[in-house]
Amino acid sequence: MSQEMFDKLAQAVVEGELEDAEELAKQALEQGLDPLACINEGLTQGMDRVGELFAEGEYYLPDLIIGGEAMKAALTVLEPALTGDQEREVAGRVVLGTVEGDLHEIGKTLVGTMLTANGFQVTDIGVDQSATEFIAAVKESNATLIGASALLTTTIPEQQKIIEALAEAGLRDKVKVMVGGAPVTQAWADKIGADGYAEDAISAVSVAKKLVKA
Amino acid sequence: MFKLEERKASIQPIKSKLKISILDDQEISQINQNTRTVLEQVGVTFPSDKALKLFADVGANVDFDTQLVKIPADLLDKYLATSPRAYTMAGSRPDLDVHVGDGEGTYFYCSGEAPKIVDFETGERRLSVKQDIVNHARIADYLPIVSLLWPSVSASDKGVTSPLHGLEACFNSTEKHVESESVMDKVSARYAVEMAIAVAGSKEKLRERPVLSQLLCCIAPLAQDRGGIEAAMVFAENDIPVGFMSMPTLGLTAPPYPAGALTLAMAETLSGIMLTQIINPGVGNYISVNPGMLDPRTGAYFMGSSVAQVLNVAGVQMSHSNGIPVLACHSFGGSQYELGNWQAGYENLYSHFLAVMAGADMSFGPSGMYEAVSLLDHPRILFDREILRVIDEVTDGMQVTPKTLAFDMIKQIGQRSAYISHKETIKAYRSMWRRDSILYEDGKAEGRKWRDPVEVAREAIRWILENHNPDPLPDDVRQEIRKLVAAADQDENLKREIKGH
Repeated sequence: MSQEMFDKLAQAVVEGELEDAEELAKQALEQGLDPLACINEGLTQGMDRVGELFAEGEYYLPDLIIGGEAMKAALTVLEPALTGDQEREVAGRVVLGTVEGDLHEIGKTLVGTMLTANGFQVTDIGVDQSATEFIAAVKESNATLIGASALLTTTIPEQQKIIEALAEAGLRDKVKVMVGGAPVTQAWADKIGADGYAEDAISAVSVAKKLVKA
Repeated sequence: MFKLEERKASIQPIKSKLKISILDDQEISQINQNTRTVLEQVGVTFPSDKALKLFADVGANVDFDTQLVKIPADLLDKYLATSPRAYTMAGSRPDLDVHVGDGEGTYFYCSGEAPKIVDFETGERRLSVKQDIVNHARIADYLPIVSLLWPSVSASDKGVTSPLHGLEACFNSTEKHVESESVMDKVSARYAVEMAIAVAGSKEKLRERPVLSQLLCCIAPLAQDRGGIEAAMVFAENDIPVGFMSMPTLGLTAPPYPAGALTLAMAETLSGIMLTQIINPGVGNYISVNPGMLDPRTGAYFMGSSVAQVLNVAGVQMSHSNGIPVLACHSFGGSQYELGNWQAGYENLYSHFLAVMAGADMSFGPSGMYEAVSLLDHPRILFDREILRVIDEVTDGMQVTPKTLAFDMIKQIGQRSAYISHKETIKAYRSMWRRDSILYEDGKAEGRKWRDPVEVAREAIRWILENHNPDPLPDDVRQEIRKLVAAADQDENLKREIKGH
């Protein structure tokens, strides 16, 4: 019975069916199933399958995004039902955003999707976010990694401000920073003292994995 | 990468929703009139007693001493009227038949008959041999974009009967229609006909379903080759379609002006077609105009000029205005470039774009050739195919429907959001982003970098050569054509005939 529900949850993620995923999550709770098991044995399995299909070239970015959204939809139901010391196993906690003065969203959202698809818990704070807002989100979500996106040559200095703000807040040794965006280079990342640079959403995953393990 | 899996041969013409024309009706009429005046007043040389007699018997003005034939316009038009606008070039199965002139699009050849090949294993440039024809025919058999085949290279290991060995190699290695352009004497032609009869099953079956066709090159300006025209008569007598190709070189073997060069091309090809219709009214024909020009600094033959491309499209219009199907020219690899040279890309793209948009019934196509069609490199055929893939997509135009206007999506997504996670986007990407490509092949390594298409193409060709082994002929037929070619190898009459012209 429970395996059947786990499979259905996984399949809803694989097929990117948001409403189905949410509805199945509700049914699972009504049936008294363990929400953590639903996440680990259902949703995560589905997301792993989405990742495999993407790696095999069968799935495209839209499939990844919609799979991630289906998972999120189910998590909104299941996570509040976690009890006591239950906690979803994640690859890492990331605060993601586009820096202050910059309204570009797509690249940052793709990075978030890829990270979510690879097991990270992503707090996406959106676009035009100041260093202060990044730090506040880190404190609130207990994240150990910041991903800061900037698409303009005029806004990439904001990435440096985030690193400086982390130091001022006494968090620099606990929180790694990865940077990205069209004008950003490895040389820029090195110059501002960032811990990692990713040129696209795919490589962002491997960079993030390395940083959270370091 | 397109999916590499064992499958039966299939063919896939490209039909264009986009149309192009170079000539207006008045210009077509002027060139047709000029062609007829040339045929009446200047004439075409036919160095064959049989051909001269046939022309004389139907009322053409024939000078047997100079072998010159002058053709009155009404006589020409009488015989052109029996040349069919549509007919079939048969494959070994009906679903592989090329329906010439059916309006279903442009069918593509794997052509060539190059003298050299890049050895697939060693990369060495060497003279081509019979086994190379077998290998390339198997590759062409596997690719749906190829509808008809020539022997792709010469069988230099087989001497003067190389054209017949080339046909044997093709008949044994592909289920698709086979055409020869190098059987250029009447004795070899008779052997080729016997081979075709063996493949078709009988003379009557060959009549119904010609599994072989012939392309004959005229000699510019205004002449036919003796052996070639005698071979063409043998083929026509046996209901085997005969195409005529003119290769006017502007400023050398033709006037420097495209309209004058096209006049010559039409005079040469139409006079040949008339001869085949005298012999066998209703036998299939086509016209091919393969214009070139000289590099005026070196004298090198240059096929890729823009003038030649204009003539190519105009040739389609002229052929159709005479009710004759057309094989648009310019093989891939028709210029002096090498793979990877950007010139190769643009010349191949636009010449084939024009041919498809002009509505050519057939076109030379993915062949794997380069260096002015003198060198075959097997993987190169997949790059040719890539260009045709793009042409297929673009000439399919754009659909404007309530669904594709996407008002509901636009309304739903609204402002400052993204369409990437919409269900319809996923569906649309699956059809828009073509996966049967050697480009954008996923390396699967960390970071997902694209692989070198040359490496991908080599991998695909290796797979095809190792796994695709069509066996189109029953053993007895295979043995029969082997006997015929072996007999040709020993035929002193054939050798004398080839030496004689």
